[in-house]
Amino acid sequence: MSSTYTNEQVAHLVDGSLDWETTFRMLSMPKDNSRFQQYIDALQKKVSFKDRIVLPLGPHMHIVQSAKTKQWVIKCDCGHEFCDYRENWKLHAAIYVRDTEEAMTEVYPKLMAPDTQWQVYREYYCPTCGAMHDVEAPTPWYPVIHDFEPDIEAFYKEWVNLPVPERAD
Amino acid sequence: MQVQDSTVQVMGIDAGGTMTDTFFVRADGRFVVGKAQSNPGDESLAIFNSSEDALAHWNRTVDDVYPELATCVYSGTAMLNRILMRKGLDVGLICNRGFEQIHSMGRALQSYLGYALEDRIHLNTHRYDEPLVPVSRTRGVTERTDVQGKVVIPLREEEVRQAVRELVEVGSQAIVICLLQSHKNEASEQRARDLAIDELQKLKVDIPVFASVDYYPSRKESHRMNTTILEAYGAEPSRQTLKKVSDRFKKHGAKFDLRVMATHGGTISWKAKELARTIVSGPIGGVIGSKLLGEYLGDENIACSDIGGTSFDVALITKGNFAIKSDPDMARLVLSLPLVAMDSVGAGAGSFVRLDPYSKSIKLGPDSAGYRVGTCWPDSGLDTVSVSDCHVVLGYLNPENFLGGAIKLDVQRARDHIKAQIADPLGLSVEDAAAGVIELLDLTLSEYLRANISAKGYNPAEFTCFSYGGAGPVHTYGYTEGVGFKDVVVPAWAAGFSAFGCACADFEYRYDKSVDLGVAQFASDEEKAAACVSLQEAWSELAVKVIEEFVINGYKAEDVMLIPGYKMQYMGQLNDLEIVSPVSTAATADDWNRIIETFETTYGRVYANSARSPELGFSITGAILRGMVVTQKPVLPEDPDAGPTPPKEAYLGTRPFYRHKKWVEATLWKMESLKAGNHIVGPAIIESDATTFVVPDGFETTIDKHRLFHLKEVK
Repeated sequence: MSSTYTNEQVAHLVDGSLDWETTFRMLSMPKDNSRFQQYIDALQKKVSFKDRIVLPLGPHMHIVQSAKTKQWVIKCDCGHEFCDYRENWKLHAAIYVRDTEEAMTEVYPKLMAPDTQWQVYREYYCPTCGAMHDVEAPTPWYPVIHDFEPDIEAFYKEWVNLPVPERAD
Repeated sequence: MQVQDSTVQVMGIDAGGTMTDTFFVRADGRFVVGKAQSNPGDESLAIFNSSEDALAHWNRTVDDVYPELATCVYSGTAMLNRILMRKGLDVGLICNRGFEQIHSMGRALQSYLGYALEDRIHLNTHRYDEPLVPVSRTRGVTERTDVQGKVVIPLREEEVRQAVRELVEVGSQAIVICLLQSHKNEASEQRARDLAIDELQKLKVDIPVFASVDYYPSRKESHRMNTTILEAYGAEPSRQTLKKVSDRFKKHGAKFDLRVMATHGGTISWKAKELARTIVSGPIGGVIGSKLLGEYLGDENIACSDIGGTSFDVALITKGNFAIKSDPDMARLVLSLPLVAMDSVGAGAGSFVRLDPYSKSIKLGPDSAGYRVGTCWPDSGLDTVSVSDCHVVLGYLNPENFLGGAIKLDVQRARDHIKAQIADPLGLSVEDAAAGVIELLDLTLSEYLRANISAKGYNPAEFTCFSYGGAGPVHTYGYTEGVGFKDVVVPAWAAGFSAFGCACADFEYRYDKSVDLGVAQFASDEEKAAACVSLQEAWSELAVKVIEEFVINGYKAEDVMLIPGYKMQYMGQLNDLEIVSPVSTAATADDWNRIIETFETTYGRVYANSARSPELGFSITGAILRGMVVTQKPVLPEDPDAGPTPPKEAYLGTRPFYRHKKWVEATLWKMESLKAGNHIVGPAIIESDATTFVVPDGFETTIDKHRLFHLKEVK
């Protein structure tokens, strides 16, 4: 089946500038088979590096196939490389922990933020461009969370029916 | 021809989004339907064109007929579109201090109103529309009236004046005042209104002021505020549209005063104070028309079914009355307007058909091809199959005579699309795939219809089903088969039925007011009489408003027939029932006893006698007053019986028609040439310009003297 939406519409979707009527139709209808490819293409156009995007991990972060080595690595929009795709990228990020009342009142009004004895905020930034990639809200002693370990092979083969991109380990 | 024998008396207009229908009725009951493309820029022109189209059937012209007309009723979507497109006035809002954000926040359910069930439970799709009044044009004033109507904090008058000055400063074109609990005690709000008018005079600014108590004094703050804002926002611009329509009528010699179909099922003048209640009018026309036909046929229980391109609307008439809903939602806003109760499902004759890529099940709608029909119309620009495509492929519709031949349909194109999108993926032939789609739609509709009747506690065997709307007669057999109706009726003018219904409506104003009266089962006579006095006070207050409306149109108070009503429930229950009062004025304990007796009878009929709970006591939650004056209504044709055999000139040949896994030859008949008494056995297809009536094998139909087709299953 051909796609219901143009590449331009999907690019608007990525930018958040798609009109509501079309967005609503996309949300309420079953997803087109070609949507993932269109989505990846739109993302690819927005980045300046040559490496091929394999899977987006966040609004500004992707698993990419290195153009030189074919290794899969986690990369920021700006080109900063974090680590191998199987590792937890957060351990390679710049981390800011809000664990005092003073730091909390920067983001919430006084008395409306969590008690930092119970909960802290851990913010993860790109060391190169400073983009915030994630915020965790765990108890203070909790280890850094490894959110997402995708089975990319199964996703490509069984879900979106596309050939799995080449990978060198 | 007997063309000049009879004058044309009544005209109905249904100005829809794509087509403007007009319906003319002569004194002898003959009628014509006209169609023209709608013209959002100048509706009056579309109405003129549509009239010319209709009257051409009688070889007459607008200039010739308009002066003869005694009455004309308009219904349309102009007001609704104005709201949906947010093209109204810049309204300023004065509310209680601290409540300035309430209108913008809206009610949570407004974020998913109008959605199909799948989308309602899919939170990502929920979304709040732009508010009609932004926070920048909202001002709070210090005041508080409690739920019992007691003023706890008096109005700070200087704040009202200040608010008015600021709202004028930011460019408000109208001012709405809506204070908490004003339906309980209107004093503060009326004071604020008077101050606002006074301040505007001082400023020498001429803009209207709308206080919620003057318009919709009903409980539920969001509903009341939305409705009053709607009045200020959309009514005046709509009045300009209607004035233009009225002016064009006058230019062509019309002497009648244009009336507009309103949500409560009556018609009001375009000069009426409350125009917000004309926001939805088209679909209501069908219900009013059904009520009138029911009276002719002696049917007091009717299931009205209207199938259009995008939706299937069902309304029930029981004991000769339709139900009224008092807090409906329209244009994704909760409102407090009396609305003829209707239920609607988003599946119609133009619905798109798709396969779910994962489950391979057929999915209908929720979007539709609308005026673009389907892929069978090459110019449509569509490549998704619609229900109409399936009809064309199976021989239900005549590809050469769609909308009277206005557009030609390409059967092969529809076949190809059905094959690629539905038939091949399912491993079916094109015919079986298309028939499956029709069967699914018919099943969806008949289940919906059946559920609607039985869920309200009724038995379909006691109901006559009326089927109308442009696409209604194509599906009538499908959604009525096996439901077990007493009779199934298809009017020959099904396509113009809403316009016809509008012409049938009374010239009627209706005003509502919330009241809170509670009286125990064995209350003393004094308590009962006191309740009557309060109810009578509310009626008297409403009577002033109703009569005022008629006076605007040149009627005298004594011409107006007043019909009081009330909303009552057992104390502590949640749903009230609307009752036409058995007493014309209420004063004594005896009056009260009759008021509760009528309520209990209705309650027993709607629910069950054994469910009656007088031991809880009774409360009246609302006072209603309707006022009407006599108007000219359409009469139905009375044709002599011409016997069961259709005349030769009605026979148009045959066409292959597919149903139940085989092709058969269906006989074709020209609807206009059939005579009263004619009997037709399926498979047959009865065609006219605007509609197609399908009578498959296993069905038969007879046309009666009023030009109504009665459809029966052959045992």
